[in-house]
Amino acid sequence: MLFTEGRGRKVVSTSSARQLGLVDGYVVDFSEQRVVALALSRTEGKARYLRWSDITAFGVDAVTVPADDVLLDSDPVLDDLHNKHHAILGKRVLTTHGVEVGTAQDVDLDPATGRLTALLTPADQIPGDRVLGAGSYAVVVRG
Amino acid sequence: MSTLLRASDLAKKPVVTFGGEDVAQIKDIVYGANGGRVEAFTLAGRGLFAGPLKTALPWPAVVGLGPDAVIVESEAVFVPRDEVLASAAASSGGAGVGDVLGSEVLTDQGTALGRVRDVVIGILPGEQAEADVVGYEIDPAETLNRGQQTLLIPLPDTISASGTHLMVPASATQFLTDNMEGFGNAVDAFRRQLHEGAV
Repeated sequence: MLFTEGRGRKVVSTSSARQLGLVDGYVVDFSEQRVVALALSRTEGKARYLRWSDITAFGVDAVTVPADDVLLDSDPVLDDLHNKHHAILGKRVLTTHGVEVGTAQDVDLDPATGRLTALLTPADQIPGDRVLGAGSYAVVVRG
Repeated sequence: MSTLLRASDLAKKPVVTFGGEDVAQIKDIVYGANGGRVEAFTLAGRGLFAGPLKTALPWPAVVGLGPDAVIVESEAVFVPRDEVLASAAASSGGAGVGDVLGSEVLTDQGTALGRVRDVVIGILPGEQAEADVVGYEIDPAETLNRGQQTLLIPLPDTISASGTHLMVPASATQFLTDNMEGFGNAVDAFRRQLHEGAV
């Protein structure tokens, strides 16, 4: 599933059937090459995040969670990872050989595990396990 | 042989970490072994008003050097600039090799070939790759009758340099070329000839 496809998907609680928010972004931990949480919009109150481990299913129409209270307000680790400097999409992609290979257009992730399976540039699909990090200047991939 | 780069192309290249941050840019190249090898890079900050940094990037910490960036694992690999300058001076026997640009290239037969305009660096592939100074781009001396166009001259493994003069074997003149593509082969052929001559 692509980052851009999952964005805007609603988050629904299976216990109350209430819509708790919308998927707004992905919090990626590059040391594990995995999405560790979803950033949410249109939530009630100050809730901002949903940990990947608290998701029941990332379905094609909705993300389901077991209860209304699994959303998180703010979390120092997630806040740090979710900083806009670490966003992937739209950044230049550099290999460890120092060569720019395009712009990051999308990311493919495994909806079952949250693992990054590929980084998509206009010309190429780079395996997710080669992505080393994303910062204010570039996304760096092992060349 | 290897990837060839002009030293002038390296200036201002961003230094990017695995985390994707451009933590510095290349300011100058620190040569060691009498100007025969790249020891380190001095650094400047990124951005319009950023000045030189007090840290330097030692060559062994460079993960990749390409047309768009120099890649390092993290900022932690930087070392104090003064340390790097001191060790480079020590490996060069204290000779003034700070700036070879503008130096006159002389053959051991006493012929002036021209003045150094740029330094050509060859990076051998593989782990722990050395960045070797393999040649100079020179503004040819008029007596050479090769016109105004810059020429590339291959260098032996070890270089004799004083800061004003650079000595090369007279046989290097056979390998003068104006073509960067063929220059790697010229360096290889020249060095092979030198080694065979020594046996």
